[in-house]
Amino acid sequence: MTQLIWLTIAFPIAGVLFNGLLGRRLGHRVVSVVGPLMVLASFVVGVGAFADLLARHGEAVNVPLWTWAAIGSFEVNLSLLVDPLSVLMVLVVTGVGFLIHVYATEYMVHKDESGHAHPDRDFARFFTFLNLFIASMLVLVLGNNYLMMYVGWELVGVCSYLLIGFWYDRPSEEQAPIDLGEGAEPVKLPPLLSPAASGMKAFIVNRVGDVGFALGVFLIWTTFGTLQFADVFSQVPHMAEAMPAVLSWIALLLFIGAMGKSAQIPLYVWLPDAMAGPTPVSALIHAATMVTAGVYMIVRSNVIYSHAPGVSMFVAVIGAVTALFAATIALVQVDLKRVLAYSTVSQLGYMFMAVGVGAYTAGMFHLTTHAFFKALLFLGAGSVMHALHDVIDIRRMGGLKNKMPVTWLTFWIGGLALAGFPLMSGFFSKDEILAKAFEASPVLWGIGVLTAGLTAFYTFRAIFIAFHGQPRDRHLYDHAHESGPAIRFALVVLAALALVGGVLGLPAFLGLPHALDSWLAPIYATGEHAAAAGEHGLSLGLELGLMATSATVAVLGIVVAYFFYVVNPAIPRRMARSLRPVFVLLANKYYVDELYNAVFVQPGLKLARGMAQGVDALLIDSVLVDGLARLVGQIGRQVSRLQTGYLRHYALATFIGVLILVGYFFLR
Amino acid sequence: MPIEIPTLNVIALAPQIVVVVTALVVMALDISLTDKRVVGYVSLLGLAAAAVVTFALLGGPAQAIQQMAVSDGYALVLNLVFIVTAALAILVALGYLDERELQHGEYYALLLFSTAGMMLMAAATDLIVVFMGLEIMSVALYILAAFNHRQVGSGEAGMKYFILGAFASAFFLYGVALLYGATGSTNLHAIGEWFSPDRGNLGDPLALVGLGLLLIGFAFKVAAVPFQWWTPDVYHGAPTSVTAFMSVGAKAAGFAALVRILMVSFDQAFTLDWQLVLAVLAVLTMTVGNIAALAQKDVKRMLAYSSVAHAGYILVGVVPATMTGVKGVLFYLMAYAFMNIGAFAVIAVLEHRDAIGTALSDYAGLSTRKPFLALAMAVFMFSLTGIPPFVGFWGKLYVFRAAVEANMSWLAVVGVINSAISAFYYLSVVVQMYMRTPTDETAAAPALRLSGPVVVTLALALVATVVLGLWPTPLVNLTALGIFG
Amino acid sequence: MPNFDPSQIPLVSIVFWVMTVFTLGGALGVVTSRNLFHAALYLILSFFGVTGYYVLLSAGFLAMVQLMVYAGAIAILILFAIMFSRRPMAHESQANQQWWLSLLLALALFVVLVVVVGAVNWPVSDAAPAADTVTQLGVALLGSYLIPFEVVAVLLSVAMIGAIFLAREKTEAEE
Repeated sequence: MTQLIWLTIAFPIAGVLFNGLLGRRLGHRVVSVVGPLMVLASFVVGVGAFADLLARHGEAVNVPLWTWAAIGSFEVNLSLLVDPLSVLMVLVVTGVGFLIHVYATEYMVHKDESGHAHPDRDFARFFTFLNLFIASMLVLVLGNNYLMMYVGWELVGVCSYLLIGFWYDRPSEEQAPIDLGEGAEPVKLPPLLSPAASGMKAFIVNRVGDVGFALGVFLIWTTFGTLQFADVFSQVPHMAEAMPAVLSWIALLLFIGAMGKSAQIPLYVWLPDAMAGPTPVSALIHAATMVTAGVYMIVRSNVIYSHAPGVSMFVAVIGAVTALFAATIALVQVDLKRVLAYSTVSQLGYMFMAVGVGAYTAGMFHLTTHAFFKALLFLGAGSVMHALHDVIDIRRMGGLKNKMPVTWLTFWIGGLALAGFPLMSGFFSKDEILAKAFEASPVLWGIGVLTAGLTAFYTFRAIFIAFHGQPRDRHLYDHAHESGPAIRFALVVLAALALVGGVLGLPAFLGLPHALDSWLAPIYATGEHAAAAGEHGLSLGLELGLMATSATVAVLGIVVAYFFYVVNPAIPRRMARSLRPVFVLLANKYYVDELYNAVFVQPGLKLARGMAQGVDALLIDSVLVDGLARLVGQIGRQVSRLQTGYLRHYALATFIGVLILVGYFFLR
Repeated sequence: MPIEIPTLNVIALAPQIVVVVTALVVMALDISLTDKRVVGYVSLLGLAAAAVVTFALLGGPAQAIQQMAVSDGYALVLNLVFIVTAALAILVALGYLDERELQHGEYYALLLFSTAGMMLMAAATDLIVVFMGLEIMSVALYILAAFNHRQVGSGEAGMKYFILGAFASAFFLYGVALLYGATGSTNLHAIGEWFSPDRGNLGDPLALVGLGLLLIGFAFKVAAVPFQWWTPDVYHGAPTSVTAFMSVGAKAAGFAALVRILMVSFDQAFTLDWQLVLAVLAVLTMTVGNIAALAQKDVKRMLAYSSVAHAGYILVGVVPATMTGVKGVLFYLMAYAFMNIGAFAVIAVLEHRDAIGTALSDYAGLSTRKPFLALAMAVFMFSLTGIPPFVGFWGKLYVFRAAVEANMSWLAVVGVINSAISAFYYLSVVVQMYMRTPTDETAAAPALRLSGPVVVTLALALVATVVLGLWPTPLVNLTALGIFG
Repeated sequence: MPNFDPSQIPLVSIVFWVMTVFTLGGALGVVTSRNLFHAALYLILSFFGVTGYYVLLSAGFLAMVQLMVYAGAIAILILFAIMFSRRPMAHESQANQQWWLSLLLALALFVVLVVVVGAVNWPVSDAAPAADTVTQLGVALLGSYLIPFEVVAVLLSVAMIGAIFLAREKTEAEE
């Protein structure tokens, strides 16, 4: 199957063509079969490649497709790289992707109040984009060079943009103010952006990162003369001695790209708003796969990053700060999907903390388990939305566990995994990151543990409010119902994965097999990393202590949430009242959006408008003709009379250009 | 004094002659035929013949004719660019003119003459012949721009183009005169010889100013800032099928002659700082073109500004004065021919008879009305942005790489940033097509008809944009033949 | 001026300056005249001045061509066109608000060119003036400049086709 790995990309592309060109005509039933089937086919090929790789003991294989372009000495061979890392990513993307496709076949059929089912009017378009996303993501992870990675990087960005704005005609929504009780003034919440605006925001913020990434790729090319991973990495040790600064710049520029794609400070702002997209999109793109592209990129480039220790530390710090920062915002969100979104930002922070301290395997481990449980949580949230006619405000839920037992149970499992409850998948991966962070710096570890506690708390805050207690909105509650088989299927399979995903990386210090560690070993720089991995810095006792600490913190967070939201719901309100400024600050997400708006967006808009008027009108009209005319005192008369489009202005402007050019040649 | 009629190596100008003869045949047919579309198809046949001749010459030794013109690899590759441009433009015109009852044989004749002029510019090795080619091309284009006599804007476009074009031609000619005064020759090789270091002529002020005036003439033709003023008005006012043709053809021809002159005559004369001047022009052109395009609400006008920006990208490939740069320019021009004419073909379909239907809002919801049309436009927009894996990406990579190799990375960086800016206006078209519902007006507009020739144009341009994006090697190999003989 | 000796002033110089007055004065008249008809007459004056230059350069044949084709045929054609068109005597001012700026720029370019031309050490030919310019011209046109000569034919056909097309369409549109 290894040589056929290109089929993993070809299948979804076939889906794109089929759904895009014929889907509308053939109806939603055909699309419902073809869309998921193509991803399943990809998954099967991926499993085949996995089996081959296992038999080869992880030896990487290049599958050349064709010589993409040879421009002089610059040659790009379009080759797919089948190695442990890419196969792991392929399995995650297509596996989780398949489940989400299945889920979406039901989710994208809307039920009205009387229970009639209406497929979304753009059902076929949705699956076209979703298939396109899978294909793009596979290009990103399977390419054997930075150029293909960049191509995939851009393509997934475009898909993300198209899918966030999928319901482009929906307006922006107000959020009801938070009532703090006892006559305190309610806390106003900022409105939610419309899907179209959210898509644009995601696109623009990602452009900032993409420019960094593109420049990074460019710098790699000028420095190493090649973009093939193998050729670049083999030169890195030499280059690290020859010009370490350049290497650091490369690492930094690539990381700027990751900041955008993987929603890290300061470019995280688009991800919460991306929740305006349909929930399967949030689960697939904005939780499980695309947003982890930055982590994948750093792990793939581990040779570069391990030779750029300064930048690596920077990555770790950004990751840690982002983790804590986003977790605090998640504490007070009332929109279920946004709680999960900030949690995604926070968990991505964990992953960057891991890869920043050189624990690449731990990062990939968390990426994998996170894909399981976060996709599960989003799909659970989507199941709730589906039942409540798109209501997502947790303040209107309550008691849903009786109505939707499967969703409730699976959401619990996802929540426990996210919180890092002992023996759940998230527990092992998070614990491994924390242990590695402790090795690097106890401060990082401290931030991580604090975040873990907050994570457990806000996750269960949402669960207790939404699923437990009394229904807050009778009407909604009465109409709520458990979702259909497709949704339940996806939920149950993901719940199982979230439950047992930890077996991929059992703690090595307990003598248990760490499957992922041995699996991924071949992708690291030979020699050095093996040596680094061999000497384990922490004693068994310390490891156990750390593990116990994180387990305790997780349980503690859940217990506190239980007290706050089940036992005595008055406590959180009282706290919010006494800590009102903090609460308002968090509810407004630290006003970062407002800050960006004031500092970047408004001046940018002004500049653009100025330019727009400037080039056409101002330059010719006002500055050259009128501006100079004013100098001789003919103010005003021409302003209204002269317009662009006049030949004489063009001639005059051209003449000025002539004079400048000739003058230059004359005077030099 | 007996007159010796020189023996002419006519083979060197064979492709040009084929095109001119086709134009004459077309004129003759125009008299006898009532269905003028046949004239268009005959023109296509003529272009095909010219392509065959070009391919036959390609790879063979360079043939020179009287030190006036040469059919070297460079000229022949460019011939192919012009032939592709003209053929696609004729296909667009077949349907476009029909709908507007403008089907006249002169259209095709003028277009062919213009093409012949472009091909002559690429082959010319003497400034006088360059000027001849320039004028043949331009005069035909002036008329073509004014071709739609029912549209005031069209006449206005032709008039503006003519007057400003005459302005530019005058500067060019003045430059030729000064260079002749300084060097005593109008032959490119002779001028290059005059500049060779051992002659010690490098600082000559007359030649300097002559070069400056020459550059102005070309900057005007390729729509480089600050000589781009005519571009938006003319591109917007001219019939769309003409805009498609001249936005690519005139630009390609301008660059064709400019690059040969710089590489042959001024390659020893770097001290004249023309590299710096062109680099500044490139930066200005890219930036002004892109920023102005951002503000446009009309797709045709937006593409006009974008074509200014593309002149800037191509200039990036000219500045290094290396063969990599030259090949990059050739690659870019061919890529640009496919994607830009494709985009204009879409505009031509959407444009109603009375010249409305080119506003951005007219593209709202196109994906539901005409999925194929929307898909094609989306691909062209992506390609023009330079997003891989479309052919436009390789074009940009090629020219930017030339800049990097020549230690002018800063120029490439400016280019990359500009490409990022351009994404906003190109993708706004995609957004309109895929993510907006049609407005009431758009919905009420007459149904869009896709005529056969337009479908062929779109299909050809689309396939080329995608296939050459996925597999650019054939085009890379072709441009590798573009050497000076 | 006791030492003034008219014979010291070469005749050629006098003719040159007179012709220059004709050429430049005529050109100035063309751009400043408010009456289109007068402008055309000034143009003829300017053409005549140029003819003088050709004579001074011993290019007799070119001088004749200049006189017959430009001052004769073309200018007359222009006069006819003006008289046949509807408002031959437009009295609008030729100047608009940017005239002073244009003048400034034109002057600046002029200064640059004058300085450049003045700075050049022009090679002076000491060959005797050619006797038989017509033959030489013919040999050049059918010899080394055969290609441009032929190409001009294409250019002229294009211009002709275009002019006919525009004129015809215009009439059709007016009908």
